[in-house]
Amino acid sequence: MSVGFVPGSGPLHRAHPFTPLAIAASTAVLAFALPVPFGPMILAGVLLLLVLVERAPVLKPALLTALPFWFFLYVIHGVFGKHPVIALGLSARVFAIVLGFLLALATVHPGRLVDALAERGVPFSFSFLLTATLQAVPRLRARATEILAAQRCRGLRVRGSIWRRAAAVIPLAVPLVLSAVAEVDERAIALEARGMGGVTNRTPLHPPPDSAVQRLIRWGLAAGTVTAIAVRFV
Amino acid sequence: MGVGRRDGHRNCREIRLITFDRVSFTYPGADRCAIENISFFIEPGSVTLVTGSLGSGCSTLLLVAAGLAPHLTGGTLVGKAVTLGVEVGAQAAHRQIAGRVGLLLPAPWTQLSGVAFSVADEVAFGPANLGRPRDRIARAVERAMALAGVSHLAERDPTTLSGGELQRVILAGIIALEPEVYLLDEPAVELDPEAADAFYRMLPELAREAAVVLATTDTDRAVEVAARVILLERGRCIAQGTPDGVLGSEKTVSASASTTVAQIAHAAGLSGPFPLTPEALALRFNA
Repeated sequence: MSVGFVPGSGPLHRAHPFTPLAIAASTAVLAFALPVPFGPMILAGVLLLLVLVERAPVLKPALLTALPFWFFLYVIHGVFGKHPVIALGLSARVFAIVLGFLLALATVHPGRLVDALAERGVPFSFSFLLTATLQAVPRLRARATEILAAQRCRGLRVRGSIWRRAAAVIPLAVPLVLSAVAEVDERAIALEARGMGGVTNRTPLHPPPDSAVQRLIRWGLAAGTVTAIAVRFV
Repeated sequence: MGVGRRDGHRNCREIRLITFDRVSFTYPGADRCAIENISFFIEPGSVTLVTGSLGSGCSTLLLVAAGLAPHLTGGTLVGKAVTLGVEVGAQAAHRQIAGRVGLLLPAPWTQLSGVAFSVADEVAFGPANLGRPRDRIARAVERAMALAGVSHLAERDPTTLSGGELQRVILAGIIALEPEVYLLDEPAVELDPEAADAFYRMLPELAREAAVVLATTDTDRAVEVAARVILLERGRCIAQGTPDGVLGSEKTVSASASTTVAQIAHAAGLSGPFPLTPEALALRFNA
């Protein structure tokens, strides 16, 4: 199971990066603005439909993420509160939010997002922070594997009781963190040398195509979200 | 891309691209200068080798020339260092010369942009940051990848490359900037011998359109292309001039700072100036 971008050719993969993000953002707000239990349940149903159309492998991670929340919601509202329908609605709320977020993550290529943001004049430092963080994960994972292998060669025992496993984390974490910190200076120099932090706006290399229909969808989502908030809270 | 071609008003053939006048630099907290009282100049179209034992200040010299020390590193700069007409000690000097100086560091993995998902985009990272038009970036990227020998990797994910491939990709990224001065710090350290040879053979091509300053201890290969050598020891310039004059001297060879061929000639009992390349050694024996 992996969380992140998954190559695909569904409508959301082909869409402008802002469209899946708009869906995720509006879902997060609508899940609270729509009345429990049916509002979040309908929302979760719509997102499930999108996931199926997109064939994005996000159902399993979404279920695994939502499961602990469902358990506690059922215990609190279903068992102690005697309101199982409320528990169901709140569980649907959590599921819809998680599903929307994972769907956006799986369908928005970080490189396309950088270009989309650059095209709209968003400072590159912002999109850099976002994308470089995503890129750093596999790099850190690979380095952790190298460090672990090196430490095992030097006699570190990582199997056995939970205490032994916990103790093995320190010889892994310390070199991992120290090496990452040590690289910071050189990385800053390299990025500056390659024109980062300059005064000119970055050129988007492959600006993703947008369409009137997608713009309409995004505006529609924004308007729907604002209306739902107004109806619910005003 | 030549300097004259890119900006008609800036004819680099008439100026010194880099001038150091009694430059010293000390890192924050250090008790001695990393470079001390260094003076030299770099002219367009030249390949200059900066060499010396580890810790002699070669990398620092490049950082100062690139305008990144002291701006990013902190520390104290004394003397006058001018790169491409900009005094590097001045406020935001590194921003003024960004993209006009191509700095390559020894460890390629620390130079990955972190935002590119293909080698082609990694190479395009620098010119895109400088806001250059897309068609110009595309041309520069294609040329840079061909020069660095990484065209076949264009669609690969940069994080999946080997150290040698990555180093060539980062070099392509520097070439794509179309700089007026290349500052290359141990540029072939991750390359296998064949790739390193190919890299050094490419340097005269780069120098045709810009100046190249090469900081390396790989003097065997560097003397094949360098027209000028600056020899550092503990931050001080102890000699500069032609490769034969500097690296072929009795003193340099005795200090093991010269080429393998010169060391062999020295051990074989030849007298200085020592030959630096196998060809020169053969000539010497034949003479």
